[in-house]
Amino acid sequence: MDRISRRAQVLNNHLTQTPPPPASSLHPSPCLSYSPPELTEKTHFDTADLRRLTDGHNLQDRDWLYGLMVQSKLFNPRNSGGRVFISPDFNQSMEQQREMTMRRIGYLLERGVFQGWLTAKGIEAEMRKFAFLEVVGMFDHSLAIKIGVHFFLWGGAIQFFGTKRHHEKWLKDTENYMIKGCFAMTELGHGSNVRGIETVTTYDAKTEEFVINTPCESAQKYWIGGAANHATHTIAFSQLNINGTNQGVHAFIVQIRDADGNIFPNIRVADCSHKIGLNGVDNGRIWFDNVRIPRENLLNSVADVSPDGQYLSAIKDPDQRFAAFLAPLTSGRVTIAVSAIYSSKIGMAIAIRYALSRRAFSVAPNEPEVLLLDYPSHQRRLLPLLAKTYAMSFSVNYLKTLYWNRTPELNKTIHIVSSAYKAACSWHNMRTLQECREACGGQGLKTENHVGHFKSEFDVQSTFEGDNNVLMQQISKALFAEYLNAKKRNKPFKGLGLEHMNGPSPVVPSRLSSSTLRDRQFQVDAFHLRERDLLARFAEEILKLLSQGQSREHAFMLSYQLAEDLGRAFSDRAMLQNFLQVEESVPSGLLKEILGLLRSMYALVVIDEDPAFLRYGYLSPENAASVRKEIMKLCSDLRPHALALVNAFGIPDALLSPIAFNWVDANAWSSVQH
Amino acid sequence: MASSSSSYPSGEDDDQVLVEEKAFVRTLTLNRTKQLNALSFHMISQLLDLFLAYEKGAAVKLIILKGKGRAFCAGGDVAAVVRDIREGKWKLGAEFFRKEFTLNYLMATYSKPQVSILNGIVMGGGAGCSVHGRFRIATENSVFAMPETGLGLFPDIGASYFLSRLPGFFGEYVGLTGARMDGAEMLACGLATHFVPAKRLPLLEAALLKVASTDPAFISATIQEHSELPKLKEHSAYKRLDVIDRCFSRRTVEEIVSALEREATGRKDDWIFAAIESLKKASPTSLKITLRSIREGRLQGVGQCLIREYRMVCHVMRGQVSKDFVEGCRAILLDKDKNPKWEPSRLELVSDEMVDHYFTKVNDEEWEELKLPPRPSNLPSSAIAKL
Repeated sequence: MDRISRRAQVLNNHLTQTPPPPASSLHPSPCLSYSPPELTEKTHFDTADLRRLTDGHNLQDRDWLYGLMVQSKLFNPRNSGGRVFISPDFNQSMEQQREMTMRRIGYLLERGVFQGWLTAKGIEAEMRKFAFLEVVGMFDHSLAIKIGVHFFLWGGAIQFFGTKRHHEKWLKDTENYMIKGCFAMTELGHGSNVRGIETVTTYDAKTEEFVINTPCESAQKYWIGGAANHATHTIAFSQLNINGTNQGVHAFIVQIRDADGNIFPNIRVADCSHKIGLNGVDNGRIWFDNVRIPRENLLNSVADVSPDGQYLSAIKDPDQRFAAFLAPLTSGRVTIAVSAIYSSKIGMAIAIRYALSRRAFSVAPNEPEVLLLDYPSHQRRLLPLLAKTYAMSFSVNYLKTLYWNRTPELNKTIHIVSSAYKAACSWHNMRTLQECREACGGQGLKTENHVGHFKSEFDVQSTFEGDNNVLMQQISKALFAEYLNAKKRNKPFKGLGLEHMNGPSPVVPSRLSSSTLRDRQFQVDAFHLRERDLLARFAEEILKLLSQGQSREHAFMLSYQLAEDLGRAFSDRAMLQNFLQVEESVPSGLLKEILGLLRSMYALVVIDEDPAFLRYGYLSPENAASVRKEIMKLCSDLRPHALALVNAFGIPDALLSPIAFNWVDANAWSSVQH
Repeated sequence: MASSSSSYPSGEDDDQVLVEEKAFVRTLTLNRTKQLNALSFHMISQLLDLFLAYEKGAAVKLIILKGKGRAFCAGGDVAAVVRDIREGKWKLGAEFFRKEFTLNYLMATYSKPQVSILNGIVMGGGAGCSVHGRFRIATENSVFAMPETGLGLFPDIGASYFLSRLPGFFGEYVGLTGARMDGAEMLACGLATHFVPAKRLPLLEAALLKVASTDPAFISATIQEHSELPKLKEHSAYKRLDVIDRCFSRRTVEEIVSALEREATGRKDDWIFAAIESLKKASPTSLKITLRSIREGRLQGVGQCLIREYRMVCHVMRGQVSKDFVEGCRAILLDKDKNPKWEPSRLELVSDEMVDHYFTKVNDEEWEELKLPPRPSNLPSSAIAKL
């Protein structure tokens, strides 16, 4: 009844009310006003120290590049709420966005950003290159991908698959963008399975030329970034057929356009058209109609063809040849993993800053409304993802170090760890962005606020450079090989962090107290227990299938459930180890304590989310319930540090968004373009 | 309301800041004409007290800050600081900067409009007590410069905040070379908000004295009535912002110098040669810490900038890496031989580690970070980041 009478009153007011006062007398004072979270939230530790741990390297170089972007009109600065934000204009057409990407590259080129990316030697140059690519990707994923294709894929192929003659001819010109490269591997019919591609190359000894051909529609090159508009050259991946013998996949340099952008004869190019994201990248399709290229254009680091047409290779086994060939391309997975985490950092920083300034509902009448982040449920949504973002941030730093210090002996480890982290980080990013989007409510839907829009920009990360699901299965396959090696030859496990398999199975206490749950030994034990058991189960299942006469391939195919569980268990455990290593490097004090909280949150959330702990009884139901309870406590322990923790990401304000700051001013009538 | 006579006992410093009260307006005049109104410790303290007092209550709506004589303010009184350093008392100097930077922060976040009339020399500390305020009026007599790199110091007083926010990389140019700018250039790049011919200043001041509102739009309109749009002089460096951007956006000081030298070949733009000349004359250490300060400042709030600059200035005074500040002041201000012997003497001798040192906390038991005064929570966003 009460509601009905109130409704009647409202309607009555509508009908009898005097006209609203003129706009000029609107007075903002009794309304909500924005209060910056910095005024109420205390920072108890030096966020610069933590930034050094998360960014890890080349901080000043990063700051320089941030500044280069912020100060240039090309990066589309917009003033909102008294602050400048930079972000591409996604309202532009696809063609305009592609053109802007190229113009931004031209600007960065002129300022010397790409200096030494292909011609400088040594780890320092490589570290700086990675840092710059990360920074660029925080502004726009398209820009990073466009640069990544040119330098890491095209340039990387020349560096790693090519030999001196290729290096001398192409690297300098690539670094200066005298030529623009792309990388034609994927076909309409084949993506992750590179060995199945259908493009065919034969050799004509009379003219000393290779002849590249697209024999059918499914062999058209697909998703080739740069191919649709800008690239002048491509690396063409193709089967090499010499005198009727298929020697497997090889890579060739093919020019597809002249310097003025005219497409070369016997090349056909089509657009991949508008996509859900990355529209600043001109993905295209390529058909080769018996294109003739000089013999020297074969990238011949592992195999060559002599002028008279003899196939020469030091590696006889085509499988090994192929593996040796692709190993250097791991850089792609490394950069994807890192870029995914930077995207998550932006999402977290925006959602948490908003949650520290936006209020909803009062607990009691006449009380101010409650800050979103003071709702335990809101903490539970965001803070575990923040802890995971930290864990993965440390992990990708470890992965980078591994990659920079690569040796042939480390190739297997790098392949496995990069596959695991690429999958884990890109999945984490998508999940984080979705949660942040929802946590920001309607504001999360605005393109300018990033959290929603980034989902479509970064979605591709779970697919390119290896489908995440396929990668997880590859990890398990590799772990199975380690298992067999150890068991059959009765040798201890060595490498990949599997040494724990050599000791006795850890025992989890029957009752878990709060302090045990936060204890690193318990957390490590729990992760070891799961990995150990899943690996044993997986191996057992495979061996059983093999003994039943199934083929190896079929056995792996049928064991996909355990394979994915094991892949995750491996990745989670490796990341926990990375976290612990960082924690150890920090001197005692508040920062170390907070890192401890984050690590516990990470570990316990992983346990809470994986049903394997209950399914296979690593934890009793009571203990699983204790884990869940402890997560709530960790949420309130981390809550006071939330602002400092996102500030420590070191992301310039200009790369966040209006809702991360004064969203009242940003939306005020005076800010509307009249 | 506080006034100078009630807060300060009479003495020789008594009239260094003249205070006039008229209705809702307070006019503060820097009055140390022999020293071109260089800010003494006493002046800074007085300004700080006055600004704090004026912020409370509704009696004051507007503050006008100007200088007597041919200068608005030629900077902080660094000669006195160098005297302290030479006597082994750099911590006295630290107190000077602590007060000065606190005043800068207060002005940058002030809830009432400040109009600074820059009818003459504005350098260093003079920029610090004007540019952070809401309105800066340039005239044909204005001369602006941040000459610190030539003194073995670096642009402090929150300059890493406002220089880094000038268009493109103009801030790096201004901060590194110490180039002089006139009123038209100040307006063009945003250091000044208005340009008013000097002969119209009395009329403008009279109009401002009648202001009874803190509404910036209203005050802006009042100043606008007396403003002109001056023409940039023919050879103004600001007209070559494209070249400045190309050179001063480079990653390191060394790269900036060589980019300038490349641009200089086959050209006869005087400003490029002057810029190269200034960079070669300036303290190499100062140049490197200045560039890094501006680059970091670009990504920081004004408070963070001041806290960092306070660390830096303490390191400069302490002189563990370089004693260029004392040497620069000797050569330029005291002996006036204009021939400082910098140490390290060349850019390539200043390593990254040496530069890093200036950005760390000062390793001294008594030393404390700059603590910013608390500000009211309902500050309008226009109160912060005015440039």
